[in-house]
Amino acid sequence: MEKYIIEMINITKVFPGIVANDNITLRLKKGEIHALLGENGAGKSTLMSVLFGLYQPDGGEIRKNGQVVKINNPNDANDLGIGMVHQHFKLVEIFTVLENIILGVEPSKMGFIQKKEAREKVLKLSEKYGLKIDPDARIEDITVGMQQRVEILKMLYRDNEILIFDEPTAVLTPQEINELLKIMRGFANEGKSILFITHKLNEIMAVADRCTVLRKGKLIGTVDVKDTTKEELSRMMVGRDVSFKVDKKDAELGDVVLSVRNLSVPSKIHKKDAVRNVSFDVRRGEIVCIAGIDGNGQTELVSAITGLEKASGGSIYLNGNDITKASIRKRSVEGISHIPEDRHKHGLVLDYKLEENLVLQRYWQPDFQNKGFIKFDAVRKYANKLIDKFDIRSGQGPITITRSMSGGNQQKAIIAREIDKKHDLLVAVQPTRGLDIGAIEYVHKQLVEARDTGAAVLLVSLELDEVMNVSDRILVMYEGEIVGELDPKKTNVQELGLYMSGAKRDLVKEINDAG
Amino acid sequence: MSTLYYLIQNMLPVATSLLLVALGGMFSEVGGVINIALEGIMLFGAYFAALFVYLVQGSGMNPQVILLLGMLVAAVAGLIYSLLLSFAAVTMKANQTITGTALNMLIPAVVLLFSKMFFMSDGVTTNINFYIRKVPVLGDIPIIGPLFFQRTYLTVMIGFALLIIATLVFYKTRFGLRLRACGEHPHAADSVGINVHKMRYLGTCISGILGGIGGFFYSVGIMDGNVNGHTGVAGFGFLALAVMIFGQWRPGKIFLGALFFAFLRTLAYSISLIPFLYNLGIDQTYYKMLPYVATMIVLAFTSKKSRAPKAEGIPYDKSLR
Amino acid sequence: MQDKNDIINKKSFSLKNINFSSFTSTLLAILLGLIFGFFVMLFAMPANALAGLRLIAFGGFSRLGDVLYYATPILMTGLSVGFAFKMGLFNIGASGQYTMGMFFAMYAGFMWTLPRGVHWIAAILFGMVGGMLWGFIPGFFKAILNVNEVITSIMFNYIGMYLVDMWIRSSSVMYNSTMTRTNYLPQSVQIPALGIKGSNVNFGIVLAILIGILLYIVLQKTTFGYELKATGYNKHAAEYAGMKGKRNIILTMMIAGALSGLGGAFAILAPSGIPGSSITYEPINIIAANGFNGIAVALLGNSHPIGIIFSALFISHLQRGGTLSSLVGYKPEIVDVVIAIIIYFSAFAMIVNAAIGNFIKKRIKKTHTNIIEDLIEEQDLTDASNNNQKEAE
Repeated sequence: MEKYIIEMINITKVFPGIVANDNITLRLKKGEIHALLGENGAGKSTLMSVLFGLYQPDGGEIRKNGQVVKINNPNDANDLGIGMVHQHFKLVEIFTVLENIILGVEPSKMGFIQKKEAREKVLKLSEKYGLKIDPDARIEDITVGMQQRVEILKMLYRDNEILIFDEPTAVLTPQEINELLKIMRGFANEGKSILFITHKLNEIMAVADRCTVLRKGKLIGTVDVKDTTKEELSRMMVGRDVSFKVDKKDAELGDVVLSVRNLSVPSKIHKKDAVRNVSFDVRRGEIVCIAGIDGNGQTELVSAITGLEKASGGSIYLNGNDITKASIRKRSVEGISHIPEDRHKHGLVLDYKLEENLVLQRYWQPDFQNKGFIKFDAVRKYANKLIDKFDIRSGQGPITITRSMSGGNQQKAIIAREIDKKHDLLVAVQPTRGLDIGAIEYVHKQLVEARDTGAAVLLVSLELDEVMNVSDRILVMYEGEIVGELDPKKTNVQELGLYMSGAKRDLVKEINDAG
Repeated sequence: MSTLYYLIQNMLPVATSLLLVALGGMFSEVGGVINIALEGIMLFGAYFAALFVYLVQGSGMNPQVILLLGMLVAAVAGLIYSLLLSFAAVTMKANQTITGTALNMLIPAVVLLFSKMFFMSDGVTTNINFYIRKVPVLGDIPIIGPLFFQRTYLTVMIGFALLIIATLVFYKTRFGLRLRACGEHPHAADSVGINVHKMRYLGTCISGILGGIGGFFYSVGIMDGNVNGHTGVAGFGFLALAVMIFGQWRPGKIFLGALFFAFLRTLAYSISLIPFLYNLGIDQTYYKMLPYVATMIVLAFTSKKSRAPKAEGIPYDKSLR
Repeated sequence: MQDKNDIINKKSFSLKNINFSSFTSTLLAILLGLIFGFFVMLFAMPANALAGLRLIAFGGFSRLGDVLYYATPILMTGLSVGFAFKMGLFNIGASGQYTMGMFFAMYAGFMWTLPRGVHWIAAILFGMVGGMLWGFIPGFFKAILNVNEVITSIMFNYIGMYLVDMWIRSSSVMYNSTMTRTNYLPQSVQIPALGIKGSNVNFGIVLAILIGILLYIVLQKTTFGYELKATGYNKHAAEYAGMKGKRNIILTMMIAGALSGLGGAFAILAPSGIPGSSITYEPINIIAANGFNGIAVALLGNSHPIGIIFSALFISHLQRGGTLSSLVGYKPEIVDVVIAIIIYFSAFAMIVNAAIGNFIKKRIKKTHTNIIEDLIEEQDLTDASNNNQKEAE
C-alpha cells in the first residue's frame, strides 16, 4: 500500500559548523499539496535541495513508491520525475525563455539543438496550463511573474510529477498569489504531488493538505492543515507564542523632513525611467512605507534619495535644503541614515572587523581621526558602546571579522550604526529580510523607537505583514509611479494588492507647495 | 592596387593568429574561467610545434603536411598547458588572474632554459619554408585570388575554417549553450544537471588548443617558423584578450576585431611601401604603437556598456547560494 | 545571558587561535617551488643537481651586498603591485611605469646640471613623476571610462616601451649610436653607495625599505588606508559610505605608478661595476622584466608592505643563487622557473594550507576533553549555525 510517492527518512545534512537537517522524516502522498514550514534558516531549502539532488545527505535515505533511490544530481531527480522551482530563480539572464526551458535537456541531433521541436512542445504546455510566455523573449527583459512561469514550465517540460516550490510567492502580488495557488491546486487534482516551502501561514491554510514544521534543523511535527490553526502552526515554527501585531502608539507628526518633488530616475536596463515624476513628503514622527512588487522603482527611488544614483529630473529636499545633487557623504552629514537593502553588498565590509564597520559612516570625523591618522582608542570605545547598547553578538567582540557573524547580528550592527548616528531621516530597505522572528521583532521595535524620538522613517518593504503592521502611511509604487496612498488602519491586504498590481490607482495628487 | 593586395596578404596571417587565440579566450571565459595565460599557452604550443618541425625538417616531407602535423602538436601542447590553469582555477578554486600570470612567467623561462641547454640559443630556428606563393586554381581567380590565395600561408585557410566551426559550436550546439550557461549563471546550469566543473575544464581545454595553434601560426606566419624565448609572442596573447573584450565575447565581432588590429599592425611595418605615408616622414615607432593606441581608443568608447560573462573569475562553489 | 557572554569571551584561548596564516602557506609554496626546481635540475644534469640546489637556496648569503643591490628595484615594483592589489586593482603595468620612471630619471641625469648632492635626488623625484604619469593613465581609464585596468596597463607597457626607446634614440645627448646604448650617466646623478666592500649596494635600498614602512603606516593607521582597503574589499559598501571611489582608484594607481617609477629610477641611477647593469640603457624594445618580477614579489609577500620587503629580499637572494648555479653548469633561467612555480602554488597554497590546518585541528579535537572547550564548541556551532542558516536563505 504505497500511498506515499516520496519518503525522506531520517535525513541528516551537515555543512561545516552547522547541522542544517537533523534526522528529518517527511512523507509525501500522491496528489497532495504538502507544505514545509519554518523560519528563515530552519533547513527547509536544504531538505528540498537534498531531494532535488543538489546536495547529498550525510545520513538517511529517500524512497520513491517504496523503493530506495539515490539522487546524486538534478538529472537523477529529473529521471525520478522530481522538479523544483527555486526561490532565487535559476535562469540565465541573457538566454531566451525557450533556451532556459530546454537547458540541460535540449533535443538534439548530433550535438546540434533542434529548436523547432522544443518550441512546439513548450507552446503546447503553455496552452494547456494557461501559463502565458513569449519563447523568444530574453529573461532579463521580462517581468518576475513571467520568469516564475518559465521556472514552472521547466518542470512541466521535463514531465515532472513531483513538483517542489521554494517560497514561490515572495515576489508576487496578492492576485498573482491566488492564481498560483489555483494552478497548484490544479496540478494536485491532476495527480501531481506538490511540496510547497513557505513561511507564510495564510497560504498554508488556504491551499495545503498537510504541513511539516521544521525548526533550527529539526523536525517538529507533521499536521493535517484542516485540523490546525495559524496560531498552532506559528507556535510550532517559532517555539513560543508570537504576536502578529506591532506594539505602537499613534504617530505624532512634526515638520516635514523629506520632500520629494517630481523625481525621475533613469533605469539601468529599460529605456523608460524607473522612477517617474514621484512626489511625496515624510514628516517627523511617522513611518511611511513604500509598498510594491520588487522592480517597480523602489530601489531606484531610495538610491536617488541616498545618493547612490543620480536623478534625471525633479528635486529632493531635506529639512528644506536641496540635496538633489549632493554627494552621498554630504547627505549623510545633513541627516540621512540608510539601512540598505543588501547588507552584504552595501551595508558592510565583511572582511573588516566589527569596530571598523561600526565607524564606516564616521571614520573621517574629528572624533575618530586626527590629521588623517585613525584614533584607535576612540574607535574601540565607540564600538563597545554600540555593542552594549544594541546587544550585538559576535565571536570576539569589536575585533570579530564581520563575515563570521550571523545575519541577524550583522543587521544589528548596521542598525546600531545608522540609528546611533545623528539623523533626521532614517531610510530602511527590507530591513528584516532573511531574519528570524526574534530579530524581526527587534528591528520593528527599533524603527518605532526611531520614529517616536522624532525621526522621519522611510521604510521600503515587500512583506505585506510588515507593510500593514509597522507603517503609519503606505505609498504604493507601480511602474515607477506612486499610484495610491493608503492608511493601514483603514485598508486591507486585498486592496493593497490591487494597487500593487496596477489594477487600481488614484489620480496622481498634485502636491501644492505654494499654499 | 598591388599595395592593397600586399597589405591584405600580410595582414591575414597576423589576423589568423589573433583570431584563433581570441576565440580560445572566448571559450574559456564564456564558461567562466578568466584566461590571462593565453600568452604563455601560445608560446608553449609554438615551442613544441617548432621542436617537432625542427626534428622532421630533414625528412623531406611536404611543408604543408609538416604544418598540419605541427598544428596538431601545438594543439596538444596548448591543451596540456591549459590543464595547469583549469586545475588551479576550477578544482583548487584559486585566483585565476594570479594563476594565469604565473603560467605566463613560467614558459619564457622554461623555453630559454631548455633552448640554452640543448640548442645553445634563445629558442628554436627551423628552416622549413611554409610560404605558399600561389594556390593552384584558386589563386587565379580575379581579385579574390591575389587577396586570399597568393603569397599566403595555409594557416589562414585553416584559421577561417576553425572560425566557422567555432561559431557553429557557440550558437547552435548543446555544448555551446551549456558552456555559456556555466559562465553566466553556474547555479542555474547545476540545477538542470550540467556538470559545471567539467564544462569549465572543457572550455579551458578548447582555449588551450586554440591558443597553442594560434601560437604556432604566429611563429609560422610572422616569425618564419622560429621561436625565441626572449621575444616570445610579443604580447599577442594579451592583444588577443583585448580583441576578445572588443568583440564582446562573440565570434563574429572577434573576427572583425582581429582584422582591425592585424591591419593596423601590418600597416605599421609597411610604411615604406605606401608613398603617401612614407613621405609624411613620421618616425616608424609611432606606427608600431598604432595598434595599441587604437585599442585604447576603441575600448575608451565601447567599455561603458561592456558586458563580460557574469560569473567569470568566480570559482564555482556548490554550497554558496 | 551572562554565562553565554563569558563562554563567548573565553574563546580567546580556544582552538580558533591555531591560526595557519598566510605565512605558512607561502612557505609551502616556496618549498614546492624549490622541489620542482630540483627535479628540473636533476633532469637537465643529474650530477650537479644537489650542488645547484644548494647554490640556489643558500648562494645568496655569500653575496649579501648584491642581494640588497638587486632587491631594490623589485622591492619598489613589488610595493607598487601590492599596494594596488590592496585596492583590488591588478597593476600589471608596473613594467611600463618602471621604464617611464627610468627614462625620466635618465633625462634628469643627462639634461640637467645640478650640484652633486642634489642631482641624484632631483633625478629620483623626476623618475617618480614619470611613473606617476604612467600609473595615472590606467587609473583614469578604469575610473572614468570603465576600461579594464589589465588591458590598459598591458597596452601602455608597450606604448611606454616604444616611446622611451624612440625618445632615447632621437636624443644625441643621451644616445650613443656606435655603442647602440645610452651614454654613461654622469657621476653627480648616481645614488651614493653605502660603501660595503665588494658590491655596489647603495642608498636606494635604504630608501626603498623606508618607503615600504611608510606604506605600511599609511595602510594600517590612516583614514586613506582605511578607505583603500574598504574599497578593495567591497567597492559597493565603500560607495555607500560616501567614499569617493573614482578619485581613490586614480590616486591609488598614481601612487602605484610612482612606486614603480622610483624602482626604475633606483635601478638606472645605481652605481655599478658591472657594465651595462645600470647607469646606461639599451633601447631594444624589451618590456622591463623587473615589472613582472614585482608581481612575483607582491604575490609572495601577500600584498603586505612588510611581507613585500622580505619577499623582495628573498627573490633577489634566489636570483643571486641562480647566477651562481651557472658555476656548476646550470643556466640562470632555472631560477625564473622556480619563481614562476612558487607563484603558481602560492595561488592556491592557501587552500591546501587550510585543508592541512583543518586536518590537524580535528586530530587535536579528538584528544581534548575539557568540558568548557565542549561548551565553547556548542556555542560555536550554534552561532555558526545561526550565521549559516540565516545566510542560506
